[in-house]
Amino acid sequence: MSLQVEDAVVDVTTEKRRSPTRTRLWGVLLAPPAIWMVVFFISSVAIVVMLSFGHVNDVGKAVFGFSLDNYKALADPVYLKVLVRSAMFAIATTVISLVLGYPVAYTIALHGGKYKNALVAFLVIPFFASYLIRMYAWSTLLADEGVVNQFIRDTGLSDGIRFLNTPGAVVAGLVYGSIVFMVLPIYASLERMDTALIEAGKDLYHSPLQTFFAVTVPATRAGMLGGVLLVFLPSLGDFVAAQLLGGPSTYMIGNLIQQQFFEGHNQPLGSALTVVLMLALLVFMVFYLRATQRANRET
Amino acid sequence: MTEPRFSMNRRDFLRGSFGVGAAAALAACGFSGDSASPSASTNASSAAPMAQAKVDGDLVYYSWADYCDPAVLSGFKEKYGVNIVEANYDGYAGMLAKIQAGNAYDVVLPGARYVELMRKQGLIQKIDKSQLKNADQLFGWGSYFDNPWYDPNSDYSTPFSMWTTGIAYRKDKVTTATGTWQDLWNEQAKGHIYVLDEDDEALGMAALKLGLDVNTANPDDLAKIKDVLISQKPYLRAYSTDDINNLASGNAWIHHAWSGDFLNFINNTATDPENWVYELPTDGSPLNSDAWVIPANAPHPGTALLWLDWIMQPDNVEKNINYIAYPLLSKSGPDIYSKMAANYPSLEVDVSKVVNPTVYKNHDPADQAARNAVWTEVKAS
Repeated sequence: MSLQVEDAVVDVTTEKRRSPTRTRLWGVLLAPPAIWMVVFFISSVAIVVMLSFGHVNDVGKAVFGFSLDNYKALADPVYLKVLVRSAMFAIATTVISLVLGYPVAYTIALHGGKYKNALVAFLVIPFFASYLIRMYAWSTLLADEGVVNQFIRDTGLSDGIRFLNTPGAVVAGLVYGSIVFMVLPIYASLERMDTALIEAGKDLYHSPLQTFFAVTVPATRAGMLGGVLLVFLPSLGDFVAAQLLGGPSTYMIGNLIQQQFFEGHNQPLGSALTVVLMLALLVFMVFYLRATQRANRET
Repeated sequence: MTEPRFSMNRRDFLRGSFGVGAAAALAACGFSGDSASPSASTNASSAAPMAQAKVDGDLVYYSWADYCDPAVLSGFKEKYGVNIVEANYDGYAGMLAKIQAGNAYDVVLPGARYVELMRKQGLIQKIDKSQLKNADQLFGWGSYFDNPWYDPNSDYSTPFSMWTTGIAYRKDKVTTATGTWQDLWNEQAKGHIYVLDEDDEALGMAALKLGLDVNTANPDDLAKIKDVLISQKPYLRAYSTDDINNLASGNAWIHHAWSGDFLNFINNTATDPENWVYELPTDGSPLNSDAWVIPANAPHPGTALLWLDWIMQPDNVEKNINYIAYPLLSKSGPDIYSKMAANYPSLEVDVSKVVNPTVYKNHDPADQAARNAVWTEVKAS
């Protein structure tokens, strides 16, 4: 509560100081991005929302309408099943990314020394290549007669391992695709953390592990929450990993939406699915905002 | 904690933006009203003057990736002094969605049933055959394509290639093939079997196995098809249309595959061509074709006509058959292909059978939705 009061005080003072010319300048600077958002973001969301109440006409064309039929069709348990599977994959992806990503961020931030920036750059460089290309690369590397399996056979470790077309492969693909979005926010919050806090923890006779959980983890909670959100949301809606690395039973909600838009020739139903997914993501978003607010208030 | 403050507050801004965005969306896209009824659109496009075959800009080309000999493409560029802007699709449904959304291309290669669909939706333009110098290669010698089922009189399209759908398998892993669709349930290859990730192909395969019509939308038939496809899941590695790569990577021991892709794989990629068999299941196999069209909103319909002419020129037909390994539907095409596929009798394609009960047809929206629901349940289960 105290924070909000402070905020309001700041408002009054800055508002007083700012001249009308400056306000107008801000307005002008805001116009191009605002137009961009309207044309390319808001209008496309609006099309999807409107189309979700539409139908397919006699020649197979999607047209706008005012019916709830598409939403009623989503009551079929098959959609819930796919949504639950997607959520499981996304949760697994998020947990693995957090467990793998935290030590990486920690090492770079606290022990990276003068190589810190270079290490962060190395983390980011693979992301210059398109996500799709990287998924294709994995499917080539891990194929039954691909490089990795050839190596395994040559060394006599085994007759070859089937990596691809399994739920594990989909989650691994998702983790690889999004782990950097976990590492960077955690890295940023570790960077900002006062290392004196860790020394203080040690002075209070905490073991390194106790210090980590009592001091470091709470201090980087905002970063972790940011990372969780950045990994979870895109993973939930992803369809590339399941399509290129998945098997016959790894269909995700993203694949389902893609199928309705393309093969199904049913853009209205695909739109309704999209709206439902967006609403589900919105719930997580609200949860995140409340959690970060709490985290900010506590620190 | 201090954000820049504007004279307009955030909520007003969002509210205003959404309103404008919604209006823009309504105005800009083609989803409003049932205006594109079949009669209205055909009248409209036949009334408009038809394009002349002369260069009116670069060629915006939209087709499968790698489905044309690069020498044919570069030859066109040199002859007419134009550039080719190439875009690719990975399935007809995606192609249709892009064109419905208003993307503009000069030439597109849809499958037969999509030609019919695009004609009905008013998405393609009439082609003046008198503008095509090589039209006699395709039409007028008793070719089936003088009047194909999907496009009366070939008014809106020029036929290109055809193929069968069958089963590819490797002899070193599979010794118990039966020559029927049952082979996609083969115990020896359990976990190494791929089925094409296309609703028509998957539903059609199950229908043929059950002795049903590939285009069925009958609820009882669809329920049986669904059960059969779900019973297949334990045998499958994945659903995929990337048959060439799945065969090459060793992931597939048995693959539900297209004839041309199989021959292409044997000619260009396979390290042990002797090891591979393409089988045409005796319980029936789908046979389909595609054709070039010029979208109604093509920016350069003149250059597009020159391309249609170029692609049916006999020397280019020969180059393309050698490159893509599919039979092309011109006068000379089938013979060139037959020589190439001589060692594989199962790859022989009989043009006279292109009108047959295993061609994929269009459905009215309710039937399409029923088939789609079955495919969704199969994929999701």
